[in-house]
Amino acid sequence: MTSILKADTIQDSSGNNIINENSNTITIGASGDTTNIIGTLQNNGSAVASTNGITMADQWRINSASTLANGAFVTANWEQVDTDGYGTIGSAMTQSSGVFTFPSTGIYLIIGKMVSYMDAARLYVGHGIYTTTNDSSYTQAADAYNGIYAGYAWSSTTTHFIFDVTSTSTHKIKMGIWTASSANTIVNGGTSSTETGITFVRLGDT
Amino acid sequence: MTEQQYLNLALAKMHTGQWFGWKKDWTGSHRESYENIIVHDNSITKPTEVEVNAKIQELKDEETAHTSARTTGKAKLKTGEALTDAEVEALFG
Repeated sequence: MTSILKADTIQDSSGNNIINENSNTITIGASGDTTNIIGTLQNNGSAVASTNGITMADQWRINSASTLANGAFVTANWEQVDTDGYGTIGSAMTQSSGVFTFPSTGIYLIIGKMVSYMDAARLYVGHGIYTTTNDSSYTQAADAYNGIYAGYAWSSTTTHFIFDVTSTSTHKIKMGIWTASSANTIVNGGTSSTETGITFVRLGDT
Repeated sequence: MTEQQYLNLALAKMHTGQWFGWKKDWTGSHRESYENIIVHDNSITKPTEVEVNAKIQELKDEETAHTSARTTGKAKLKTGEALTDAEVEALFG
């Protein structure tokens, strides 16, 4: 036999509110209380975001320098950062020939960084973050450039892009190089400090 | 620049593309040494250590010459003397 208990407030034996309903707002507990939920807390059937906030963060870099032409993609020598107290959260990105695959769907902040070296002046040198939403055709989603007025100089460029990864099989990214004229650019890399790399942070659900 | 950076740049200037990398038997900057070079491109032979060191020295000499040309070029600008091509390149690109 079912029964219905009608009350706006439930209190403990000392008269302190445990549950209170007022103008469609339900308050559980009171300031100073600990509310311990055994089981899964849901929002209308969906999982509630973790109270820890960020659930995935990962960082990759290339471990060596290379001379790359205008329009080339960085396809080799990628590795997860592994020095200087590096830490990661959640599942890692996976990478094959410079194409990065996400561990789960979600909204991701992608930060690309490139350090390059030139022995001659360049009208521009920089890099782009390229995305695909069909695992086939890539378009430039973000880019950054520097102008180098004389040779034997270093350049550093940084890009940012927020990517809605609705499918881990179709939504991927890679990094490409832009440099003026036919002159090549040395894209720098290293094994102990991140010169050229990409940072991935999952901001939330898609 | 560090010696590791010079080594990286010297190798990068020897061929285009991402033709080389480093063995990953451990982590850190000491991976970046001649002994740990791995060649990705089958059409390229690993250079000798003498060749690599010569390339590093060439890089350093070019930088020194570039810095020198900037210095002498600035001095010539002040006195109204004609600049050499190297000095023009060093000062104005």
